[in-house]
Amino acid sequence: MIESVFSYLRDAWNGLQGFLFFLPPFPERIDTLALLSLVLVVGLLVAEWLRSHWQWPRVLGYVVAGTVFGPPLLGWIKVDILTQIRPFADAAHGLLLLEAGRRLDLRWLAHNRDLLRGTVSDIALSFLAIFLFALLLVGLSPAWAAATAAVTMASAPAVVLLVVEESRAQGQVTERVMLYSSLSAAASFVVFIIVLGVVHAYQSGSWAHSLTHPLWAGGGAYAIGWAVAQLTLRIAGRLPKRSLAQVFVLVAMALLAVGIARMLAVPVFLTLFLMGVLLSLRDEAKTLSYTSLPEGHWMLAIILFVVVGASLPWREFTWLTGLQAIGLLLVRALAKTLSMALAGGELPLNKRLLAGLGIQPLSATAVFMAFEISRLYPEIGGPALLLAFFAAAIMDIAGPVLCRFALVRAGETPSEQETGGNGA
Amino acid sequence: MSELLEFAASEPLTLGVELELQLLTTRDYDLTRGASDLLCALKHDPDHGDVKLEITESMIEINTAPRSAVDAIAEDLDVMREALVLQCARNNIAICGGGTHPFHAWPERRISPGDRYKNTYERYGYLSKQFTVFGQHIHIGCASADEAVWLTQALGPYVPFFIALSASSPYVDGVDTFFQSARLNAVSAFPLSGQCPVLDDWDDFLAHYAFLYDCGIVGSIKDLYWDVRPKPEYGTVEIRVCDTPLSIVRAAALAALAQCLGRFLLRVRPPFDPARALLVARYNKFQACRYGLDAQISCPEQRRQFPLRERLGALLDNLREEAEALGCQRWLDALRQALVAGPSDADWLRERLAAHRNLHDVVRDSAERFCDVRTLG
Repeated sequence: MIESVFSYLRDAWNGLQGFLFFLPPFPERIDTLALLSLVLVVGLLVAEWLRSHWQWPRVLGYVVAGTVFGPPLLGWIKVDILTQIRPFADAAHGLLLLEAGRRLDLRWLAHNRDLLRGTVSDIALSFLAIFLFALLLVGLSPAWAAATAAVTMASAPAVVLLVVEESRAQGQVTERVMLYSSLSAAASFVVFIIVLGVVHAYQSGSWAHSLTHPLWAGGGAYAIGWAVAQLTLRIAGRLPKRSLAQVFVLVAMALLAVGIARMLAVPVFLTLFLMGVLLSLRDEAKTLSYTSLPEGHWMLAIILFVVVGASLPWREFTWLTGLQAIGLLLVRALAKTLSMALAGGELPLNKRLLAGLGIQPLSATAVFMAFEISRLYPEIGGPALLLAFFAAAIMDIAGPVLCRFALVRAGETPSEQETGGNGA
Repeated sequence: MSELLEFAASEPLTLGVELELQLLTTRDYDLTRGASDLLCALKHDPDHGDVKLEITESMIEINTAPRSAVDAIAEDLDVMREALVLQCARNNIAICGGGTHPFHAWPERRISPGDRYKNTYERYGYLSKQFTVFGQHIHIGCASADEAVWLTQALGPYVPFFIALSASSPYVDGVDTFFQSARLNAVSAFPLSGQCPVLDDWDDFLAHYAFLYDCGIVGSIKDLYWDVRPKPEYGTVEIRVCDTPLSIVRAAALAALAQCLGRFLLRVRPPFDPARALLVARYNKFQACRYGLDAQISCPEQRRQFPLRERLGALLDNLREEAEALGCQRWLDALRQALVAGPSDADWLRERLAAHRNLHDVVRDSAERFCDVRTLG
């Protein structure tokens, strides 16, 4: 029906061109900027509606908007359009990961060894549980089971960051959720790079690459992140703290890191995350610590999660894969909550379990990262990661809700009475 | 009601100190919600006192045990400071003194869990969140209820000295208020803040309290936010006007001043006209809050003004005998040093701002100063 309307319009337009010489050819494609604004507004409206009616996190609203209006359902956002706005989504994701990295305070681990125990058990148990599930119950090969585990073991720092900011949560559960999600994401990057090297070697027979590529990807991301972080601190040190100029420097330097990483085929998201971590770790004079990203990063988040929603592979959904994804998520949830419970420490058990619930988000952006790296290996395609993609798709819907629920139950968000019914 | 207000006599001139402290995020040194988490995991020796929640989750209060000597008070405070600093590091938060947080946004504060705080919030609304200010309260033990009522009023004229010596709240909402102690402006919003009325004795106090109670103005002694008030359940008189100093040492020194002054007043019983003193009390309090040690205070007996610094110097001289008897001379010497050489806590904060040009680093320096065991005064 839309096609017939367009066809009528096209004919009318072409007819008018005979009289009105200044008319351009009929616009066959919507302008990218116009499209961006539509995506923003639609995502925003859906998110606000869900928020005001059901108290759902806004992130979820953006994903739902993308799913409904994207290729999986109505198809109003087409695949080529997704490709057009993908760079904006990547930029948004990069900046959110940079911010998540900046908030990761590794010094905290030195003061509180319980956290180190929690982190290690989360990473180890999650990887092991998912690997065994994929290997023994789903029947994937060891290499692909490891790849699936590497991608899905991590929490989603970008989602957690947005949920924490939106719900204005403060407290030990919140801080731990942010710490664990960032550290597990970092571990996931590293493990996935190693696993890919092994997979590549397994398939191509060249073991040289299995060693050099992880080194190139991991070492390169670290080197670029370190160099750009140092440069950023030097330049920002000449500017007033918390000034707008510092914000510009931060964003510009992040883009510089993206550019260099792309030139050298180094994982962009890992580079930005490491840059954020190093900015936090090396900034002893607190040059940039008090400078926050402008509120505009929320606008970028809308684009990011609408694109995520629109990219979810619901068309390839089968009941078997769906059930396997649910099984994977249950195993993963069990591993994460168990690791929090077993890690011990002075935080009461109920709060540790809530922290375990809070780190459940698994964003499809994790899978994007995997694809970013796997593009380097032509033999590795999407189907191999379909299970991971479905698990991510389900958690894109459920993850923000679980995370918010954990923060609310921990008593770390302002009550209705405190916000006067005007909660964010 | 009379049962509730029974005066529990205590050992004369014993001391107790309460300090309200700021809980900060190490990310940007803004206030953060951390008190109940901190309390949950804190391990401290109860022989040295107690740690409690306060009205909002960004505050924590330490109370010493009742002590006869200031040295013991200082030890209690230091032991609890150390326990708190350690636990704060484990929770990745920072802690500091100071009467106000220089730039926090009060709407962001969270009311602490518990019916008491919930009721306070319901009763006073946003004032409860704005009451996220940090004070030092000093208790002086009294042998009898009548003595406590007399001392409560006799301490009134000395309130400006305590304000000036403890002033550490020049910044509110990110701006320099020009006050040395802006904290008390937040307290003055409460209906029963200010000076204690003229009271003859304990019976008179009970009659006054009963009147307020019958009129529905107070529900408990805690509703009296007087600058100095009797605290029947502890058997003490409580001085409530001090900002929390930036260091434990200054807090102990202020306790020494209170103890020496209490001893002097109870021993000498100097002639005193409470009604006349009330006439200048608010003015003198304002002067001390606004100008600190550089204030001019009015003397109702001589009907003229004196520099606060001069009067305080003379007082410290007069209290030498009491200090020697109580064994706390070195603490008064520390105050004299602060009076002569400075800088006051408020001036120190202004110096830090001049050096850093941002309030985040000022709070960071305050936190480091609070943690530094070697910090003097």
